[in-house]
Amino acid sequence: MERLSLQSLIHRLSEFWAAEGCVIQQPYDLEVGAGTMHPDTFLRVLGPEPWRVGYVQPSRRPADARYGENPFRLGKHYQFQVILKPSPDDIQPLYVRSLEAMGIDLSLHDLRFEEDNWEAPTLGAWGLGWQVMLDGMEITQFTYFQQAGGLDLDPISAELTYGLERLAMFLGRTRSVYDVEWVSDGPSYGAVRHQDEVEFSKYYFEVADVEFLRAQFDGNEAESRRCLESGLVLPAYECALKCSQLFNVLDARGAISVTDRVAVIKRIRRLAVDCAAEYVASRERLGYPLLEAFAESADD
Amino acid sequence: MTEFLLEVRCEEIPARMLQPGMRELGTRMFEELMARHLAPRTVKSAFTPRRLVLILEGLADREADREERVVGPPVSAAFDAAGEPTRAAEGFARRCGVEIGELETVRTEKGEYLAATQRTEGRATIELLAELTPRVLAGLGWPKMMRWGAGQGPWVRPVHGIVALFGGKVVEFELFGVAAGNRTSGHAWLSAGEFEVENGADYGRKLARRRVVLRYENRLQRIREQMDKLASAAGGRVVEDEALLDKLACICEIPGVVEGGFDSDYLKLPREVLVTSLRDHQSAFGVEAEGGGLLPVFLTVMDRPDDPEGRVRAGNEWVVAARLDDARFFYREDRKVPLGERAEELRQLTFHARLGSYAEKSQRLVQLGAVLCDSLGRAELKEEVAAAAGLLKMDLTTEMVKEFTSLQGVMGGVYAREEGADDSIWQAIYDQYLPASTEDPIPQGPVGQIVGLADRIDTLVGIFGLGLKPTGSKDPFGLRRAAQGVVRIALEGNLAIDLDLIAAKSVQLYADGLELRGKEILEVWRPFLFDRVRYLLGLEGYAYDEIEAAVAVGGTNLPDVKARVAAIHSVRDEKGFLPIVLSAKRIANILKEGSEESFREEALVESAERDLHQAFQELRKNTERAEAKGDFVACLRHIAGFADVLDRFFVEVLVMDENTELRNNRLALLQSIQRVLSRTAELTRLVVDKGEYRDE
Repeated sequence: MERLSLQSLIHRLSEFWAAEGCVIQQPYDLEVGAGTMHPDTFLRVLGPEPWRVGYVQPSRRPADARYGENPFRLGKHYQFQVILKPSPDDIQPLYVRSLEAMGIDLSLHDLRFEEDNWEAPTLGAWGLGWQVMLDGMEITQFTYFQQAGGLDLDPISAELTYGLERLAMFLGRTRSVYDVEWVSDGPSYGAVRHQDEVEFSKYYFEVADVEFLRAQFDGNEAESRRCLESGLVLPAYECALKCSQLFNVLDARGAISVTDRVAVIKRIRRLAVDCAAEYVASRERLGYPLLEAFAESADD
Repeated sequence: MTEFLLEVRCEEIPARMLQPGMRELGTRMFEELMARHLAPRTVKSAFTPRRLVLILEGLADREADREERVVGPPVSAAFDAAGEPTRAAEGFARRCGVEIGELETVRTEKGEYLAATQRTEGRATIELLAELTPRVLAGLGWPKMMRWGAGQGPWVRPVHGIVALFGGKVVEFELFGVAAGNRTSGHAWLSAGEFEVENGADYGRKLARRRVVLRYENRLQRIREQMDKLASAAGGRVVEDEALLDKLACICEIPGVVEGGFDSDYLKLPREVLVTSLRDHQSAFGVEAEGGGLLPVFLTVMDRPDDPEGRVRAGNEWVVAARLDDARFFYREDRKVPLGERAEELRQLTFHARLGSYAEKSQRLVQLGAVLCDSLGRAELKEEVAAAAGLLKMDLTTEMVKEFTSLQGVMGGVYAREEGADDSIWQAIYDQYLPASTEDPIPQGPVGQIVGLADRIDTLVGIFGLGLKPTGSKDPFGLRRAAQGVVRIALEGNLAIDLDLIAAKSVQLYADGLELRGKEILEVWRPFLFDRVRYLLGLEGYAYDEIEAAVAVGGTNLPDVKARVAAIHSVRDEKGFLPIVLSAKRIANILKEGSEESFREEALVESAERDLHQAFQELRKNTERAEAKGDFVACLRHIAGFADVLDRFFVEVLVMDENTELRNNRLALLQSIQRVLSRTAELTRLVVDKGEYRDE
C-alpha cells in the first residue's frame, strides 16, 4: 500500500473527481461544521439544475476539541466533499475507482457499506445511505439526499464525504493524527495544526464570551432576515451559517441548556428553510443557468 | 410445469431490513399467484446485501380458462308482445359478446331472467408475471425508503439489475427504469462482470463459481464454523451473541472470518466494556478462555473469502486498538469521580422535561424503595435499598454510558463493585434494567427486585400523570416494557404486595408535579398493568377465562392473583365443579336486578332452605379458614361441595314466591351465598361448554 501524505490524498481526490466532470471548488470561507453546509452543497442540491462539485472543507466541531491531546479527536478536521446531482447510476463503481486512485487495491481489502442515515436538524435536511467501511474503518459517508431546507429534492444528489485525517491515518498506519504526514517526509499534521487545536480548545471551553456570542447570534439572525427581505439569499444564508457556528460554540461552552437547545435549533432551521425556499425562487428567476452549463460539459 | 427465476440487484440493503423484506416478497408473490389459482409447487428464496432472489417451481404455463354466468334483464322485459327481443335483450347480448340465440333463461326468486355464459381464456403465466412482479416489488413495505437519480423510486436502495426468467424466457417488465432480462453479475468488485443465466440451477451454479454464497443459512454456518475453528485455535471459545452473528451473515456475499489481536493490557478493562466495544464499534466477537476470562483476540466478518496479505486483519486491529484506547480513556476518567459524587451532574440530566431531572427521580426512588420494604415486611433491607436507589442512575453521567448506552445499569454496577459496594447493592444497580426482553431473567436478589420495581412504577406513574400513554405502535417511553417488568418481577420474585398502594404512594412522591389526579392515574395504570398480567399468565398456559375469573376478584397483589388462577386451573376439571359454576351463574341471573335485602333466619320456612342456610354457615367457616391459609384449591373444593344442597334448594323451593317477605328473605340469603361463592374467583366468568350444559 502506498503511503500517501495528506496533501497527496487531496491532490488525488481532486484530480479524480475533476476527471469526472466536477467543479473543483475551494473551501467555503466561513467557519462551518461540515462540508454539507457549504452553499455549493446545501443550496445547489435544491431545484432542477444539475451540479457536480468536489472540494476540501475544514469542518469545525467545537465539542470534539481535545486540547491537542487526543490522538483521534479534533476540534477541526478536513473533509473532502463530492456532490453528484443527479446521482449517476454507476456511482458505486465510481466511488470504488476513487479508492483505487488513492492506491487502495480492493483485491486485498475488505470494503463494506453499512446502513447509516444522516439527518441535520439545523438544516431541515436528511438522507439515506451508508458509512463505508474499509478493513473495519469508516472512511466515507455516502448519502442520497432526500430533503434539504425542508424541501423534497428532485433530482436526488449523492454526497460522498471522505474523512481525510482518517484516511491518511489509516493509509499511513499512524497511531496519532498528529503523526500523519502532511507532506511526504516533510511537516507532520501536528507541526501544521497542533497549536490551532490547543488554542481553539481553550477558547471554546474556557474563554469564549457567552454574552458576546449570544449577541452575535441574535444580530446575525436579524441580519439574515433583513437580507431575505431584500431578496439576497446568499448573504442571508451566510448569516444563517454564522448562527449555526455560534450555536456550536455556545454548546461546547456549556451555555445551552437542554430546554434552550430545541428552541435554538428551531431558530436556525427556520433561517435555513427560508433561505432554501428563496434560493429555489432566485434560480427560477435566473432561468436555471446551470441546466445549460452542465448539459455542455456532459457532451465533452 | 415451469420455473420462475427472479433476482433483483441493488445497492446494499440495510442488514436489519433484509430478512423481513425477502419474506414479504415471497409471501406477496405467492399470494398473488394463489389468487389466480397458479400456486407454485415450491418457493425458494435467498438474499445477500445486494440481491433478492426468488425461485418459484412448478407453475402452470397458463391460467385456467374461466366460465362465468352473467344474469341480465328479466325475461318479461326481454321480449315484446310479438316475441321479438327488446333493446334490453340486444344490449345485454352485445355486452356479453354472444348472439341472442345463445342466451339462456334462469329462474331466480324474483322470476325468470336472461343469462349468458361468458368464457374468459386464461392468460399466459409469463404475461401475468410481467404485470404483477413489478407491482409486488414496488409495493414492498420497507421501513425506510429513498429516491435516487432523476427521482426514481421510492425503494429501499437504488435498483441496478433484474433477472426475470419464466422457463428460460425473459419476463418483460421495467422497474424504476431498469428492464428485466437474463443478465446478472458476481460480487461487485471481487468477481465483477456481467453474465447470462438460463434458469435457477444455472444461476446458482454460476454465482457459486464466483464464490457468492446466496443463502443466508449457508453464510451463517460458514461464519460459525470458521469462528469456532479460529477461537479454539486461540485456546478459547466465541462469546455468544446470536444477534451479532445474524447481522454479520447479512452484510456479506462472500463470507470470510478475520481474526485480530489487541494488547493484553486492555484486558484490565471490565469484560462488559470490552465485549460491548468490540460489538458496537467493530461488529466483532470476543473470545473467552475455559475459565470465562477474555483472551486478547477478536473475530469479525469480511465480505471476501481470505486475507492474502493480512491487510484486513491489520486494518481491523488498528481500529480496535483506537476504540479500546477510547474505552480505557473513558474508564479512567469515570473512575476519577465516584458514583456517589455525581449528584450535581445528575441534576443536569433530564428524566422528562415536565417531570424534572434524574436527581429528582433518584430521591423519589429512595423513598419508594422504603415503602416497598415496609409493604413486604422486609424492613431489614431498607438501608441497602436506599443505597442502591440513590446510586441507581448515577452511571448516566459517565463517559462510558454516554458512549455505549447499552451499558447503562451494567456500568453503574461495575463502578459500584470496584468502589467496594456490598454485593447486594452493586448487583441491584447492575441488574436494574432486567428484564429488558422476554428472554431476560428478573434481577437476582430482593434489593435488585425492589429498586427495579420502584424505578418502573415511578416512570409509569409519572408519564401517565402527564396524561400520556402508548398509542398503537408508538411507545416512546417504553411503558409497555416497564409494565411487563413490574408484572414479571412481582410474579417471579413472589412479591406479595398491593401494587395499587405502591402506585398511589408514587403519585404522592411526585407532590404536585403531575397533571392528573391520583385517582385518574390509577384508572389508567390498573388496566395497563392487567393487560400484561393477562398476557404473561396466558403464556404460562392458563385459559383466558381462568385469568378473568381471578382478576375480577383479586387486587393488584399479583402472586395472590396468580395463585387464584392456578387454583381454578387445577380444580375446574374436577368432578363436581361444573355444577357450582352453573349454580353461580343461575344465582347471578336471579339477582341481576335485585336490591340489597335483609335476611332473617326465622323467616325460612321450607326444609330445603333451612338446610341450605345451615350448610352455608359451614361453607363460610371453611372457606374463611382455607383462604386465611392461602389455600385457594381447598377453598374452591369447599365451594364445589356446596352444589348439591344448592341444587336441592332450587328444585324444592320457589325463590320468587308471591309472598314478598318470603321472596325477599330468600333473595337475601342468595346474596350472602353469592359473596362467598365468588370469594376465590368470580365463577360466573368461567366459560362453560354448551355440550356440558346439555349433559346436565
